[in-house]
Amino acid sequence: MQYSSATLIDKYLRTRKIPSTACSGCGLGINHKVVIQAIGELGLEVNDIIWGTSIGCAGRQTFATWKGDGFAGTHGRVYAIARGLRIALPPEKKIICTVGDGDAFGIGLMHLIHSARSNCDMTVIVNDNLGYQSTGGQFGFTTPQGAKTDSSPYGMFEHNLMSDGMDVMHILKGAGATFLARHVAMDGQRAVESVKRAILNPGFSLVHMPYPCPTNFASRELGSRNQVNIYRWIKERAKPLEEADENTVWATGVWHDASGSRPEFSEHVWGSVNKIRKTGAL
Amino acid sequence: MKRFLETGNFAITEGAILAGCRFFCGYPITPATELAEAMSKRLPQEGGVYLQAEDECGAMHVCIGASLGGMKAMTATSGPGYILYADPFGWALGCEMPLVVVNSGRVGPVSGITGAPGQGEFYLTRYPTQGGNFECITLAPNSAQEAMAMVVEAFYLAERFRMPITVLGDQLITDGFEDITVPENEDEMKEMGFRTWPRGSCAGPNFYPFTDDLDIPPVQMGSGAGGLCSDWTPTEEGYDIEEVEAHHKHAYRLIYKVRNHRDLFNHLYEKKYMDDDPDLVVVSYGTPSRVVNTAVDKARSLGMKVGALRLINLWPFPDEHFTRKAKYLTVELNWDGQLVREVQRATPKDSEVHFLGTCGDLPTIPDLLENFEKLLKNQPLERKGWELEAW
Repeated sequence: MQYSSATLIDKYLRTRKIPSTACSGCGLGINHKVVIQAIGELGLEVNDIIWGTSIGCAGRQTFATWKGDGFAGTHGRVYAIARGLRIALPPEKKIICTVGDGDAFGIGLMHLIHSARSNCDMTVIVNDNLGYQSTGGQFGFTTPQGAKTDSSPYGMFEHNLMSDGMDVMHILKGAGATFLARHVAMDGQRAVESVKRAILNPGFSLVHMPYPCPTNFASRELGSRNQVNIYRWIKERAKPLEEADENTVWATGVWHDASGSRPEFSEHVWGSVNKIRKTGAL
Repeated sequence: MKRFLETGNFAITEGAILAGCRFFCGYPITPATELAEAMSKRLPQEGGVYLQAEDECGAMHVCIGASLGGMKAMTATSGPGYILYADPFGWALGCEMPLVVVNSGRVGPVSGITGAPGQGEFYLTRYPTQGGNFECITLAPNSAQEAMAMVVEAFYLAERFRMPITVLGDQLITDGFEDITVPENEDEMKEMGFRTWPRGSCAGPNFYPFTDDLDIPPVQMGSGAGGLCSDWTPTEEGYDIEEVEAHHKHAYRLIYKVRNHRDLFNHLYEKKYMDDDPDLVVVSYGTPSRVVNTAVDKARSLGMKVGALRLINLWPFPDEHFTRKAKYLTVELNWDGQLVREVQRATPKDSEVHFLGTCGDLPTIPDLLENFEKLLKNQPLERKGWELEAW
């Protein structure tokens, strides 16, 4: 089923905030549309979803874009807020969080891991612009090795969560996430399909979605804000998981699907509380 | 009513449940651990949820989430955890989310001694987060029974003011065993002076009025009506905005909704022998006030004209108690002198304001009497070891 952006915006988004104040050529809007398109294809309504956002480009630009209820957490904490909210919300309500790479994989990693650990039903979309771009363009924890940024003028040389043999996906899988996927912004319908599966998973889901930042990342690493260059640069480094080779930075597709393999957090907690209340024991 | 020989932690737990709290998220820390333990036992019995978080910062954020979903929530900690609340405390103030925060003070700085009482967070409960442009309410009980009452009161104020409220205790209040009476129904609660306020719900689309009005229901997620709240400067609808005028409106509300409604909590204090213009006014809060009250009784029986002022409402600071020019002495569980600075600010110019601090232990009655006598005779307070009056 095809949706035009206008139809999706009309149904789900607030025109006051769309178009956003993102830089010209920013890829965030593509990721945002992927998520909205997935919601549309699932036939969800505005009041089915509570939207959480974070600090940084991805959070600020998506806050209050959803026509329904929305909240923005302090930097890195939206996953902890969502856990408490999950307990208070009816189970059929869905929580979707659009956050940045610094928020999820830097300052908020511990809260993120504990949300995965508890299998709390939320869908975290990590919009990765390859560093801290809203502060001017410093490297983050998934910035490709060697990339020149404002805080790595000689090339980023620290080991990070995307170094050889390491991947933040392994950490999240080990922590208990029940659905994990990675797509670059230009993955189109493949990304939409993964986001749909993430939303449908009754537990903790995360989709890592690197996207182009022409303004800061591209201007330092590629020496140009030409949007075509950075889109091509990312596309050349991304390949589907089954075709990935030693030159692949972002292996795309579904990394892990254990949907339904263990109870969802709030269902588990409330089930336990009700049992204790009735019988005095578990 | 039911009577128990129990700890302050028990009393706080029962108070919270009476006030309608059905959600607790914490992180174990001495001396607030037993409070979390009591909650883990009692809340499921009452149909409530107890969770442990990855740290205190996470714990208060989880509570924020539960409150954002419409539940009355509480967290509890000691000083090393209270400092980790800085981030969520700011969020809860800015988003006007009702919460109750209990801090059982232990001697610091940092980890200090886990089993010794302290009063090092007097100013921290006024400035629990960064940024300024807000006012805070802090209540400081001095017994297990009063801790229960103040937790009930904190839930009442949290709902009406739409903000997080700190109940500041110390290790002796939360860990000490005392005679505790627990009301069993609403009539008994009223009889004991407990008041409660139901959780309201603002489904959206409006976030707040830029007035000092109370009883504005907090934003609640879940209806789909478009409720918004964020850490940014808000518009009245809850959108984020980078405009100074919008920030003025927000800051005005955060400060003056509290300052203009102090009558809701400024009756929370205790005065002893204060009717005959005593020559020396001893000011304290929390556990040391119990030693002070006994010492002042004794001093009066010895003919010393000493009065005692115990603060329960610490913040906003009740300046109205300090209009009279007199000698003041603050007795605190710290050596750097915190309450004394505020007393000096609030008292008339040229008032004598003195300080007696202890560090991990309590003042003794003979010590207090000796110092009362010296001050009444205009003698300087002596240095004992590292105990300096200088602050």
